[in-house]
Amino acid sequence: MLLAMPTARASDARLLLGAAVTLLGFLVVPVLVAGAPLERTMGVVQKIFYFHVPCAWLLMLSTFVCAAGSLAYLFRGSEGGDRLAVCSAELGVLFGLCVMVTGPLWARAAWGVFWSWDVRLTASLLLWLTLIAYGLARRYGGSGGRRLAAALALFAAADVPLVYISVNVWRTLHPTTRVVSSLAPGMRLPFFLSLALFSALWCVLLVVRLRVESARARILELSIAVEDVEAMSS
Amino acid sequence: MTYVALAYGFIWVAVLGYLGLIGRQVARLEAEIQDLRQRITHER
Repeated sequence: MLLAMPTARASDARLLLGAAVTLLGFLVVPVLVAGAPLERTMGVVQKIFYFHVPCAWLLMLSTFVCAAGSLAYLFRGSEGGDRLAVCSAELGVLFGLCVMVTGPLWARAAWGVFWSWDVRLTASLLLWLTLIAYGLARRYGGSGGRRLAAALALFAAADVPLVYISVNVWRTLHPTTRVVSSLAPGMRLPFFLSLALFSALWCVLLVVRLRVESARARILELSIAVEDVEAMSS
Repeated sequence: MTYVALAYGFIWVAVLGYLGLIGRQVARLEAEIQDLRQRITHER
């Protein structure tokens, strides 16, 4: 198995432990969320908050990590930075998709509509679409695709502060960022545990994906070397 | 409750789907390693 090379046994063990803890947590969190107090106005549907907010946090974190890797690639030519950027952009698309599905489900029950073109929702959609554009630019952008994608990552990172502050600056349907600090005591443990577990899942997925990307780079180098040897011997 | 279950269920499906995609990438890389191994053996 590619992910189980002898040189990586210690990190394999850490990765497996991380994956096991995350999996266990994902089985426990729904129980804690189910036991959390009901919010007075929204009732049961408010419990989507415990999954929606961690996904939104990971969308923003992925974007910043992607931008940091892209900066390293653009200004220092770092291949490692480029690999980090592509892996975190994928995770941004994954958790962004979860935000785009869980948010409208919550909105349908709380506001009566699946979608409203207010600043928070529109800026979040723009952020998610920019990360998708990042992947498309890499795949179909030709020789300059990686540089174009890196520039898109910086554009995406510039959108993150707008997403975050939008609910405090403009009048929107979406709850403000003060919701987290004003949570009832019984809601805090399930929320922060859920946030920690989603973050742990993000770390596990990032490490796995980075290892695949590093292996791909090594295999590419090896195939070029083998091709050189074949060309010399023929 | 249906919306909450749908939201949590969707997250599981999305994460498992992503793991499936990573699994396919690993299988493709293993095939490439096998191909390289055969070419190196042939060169020797």
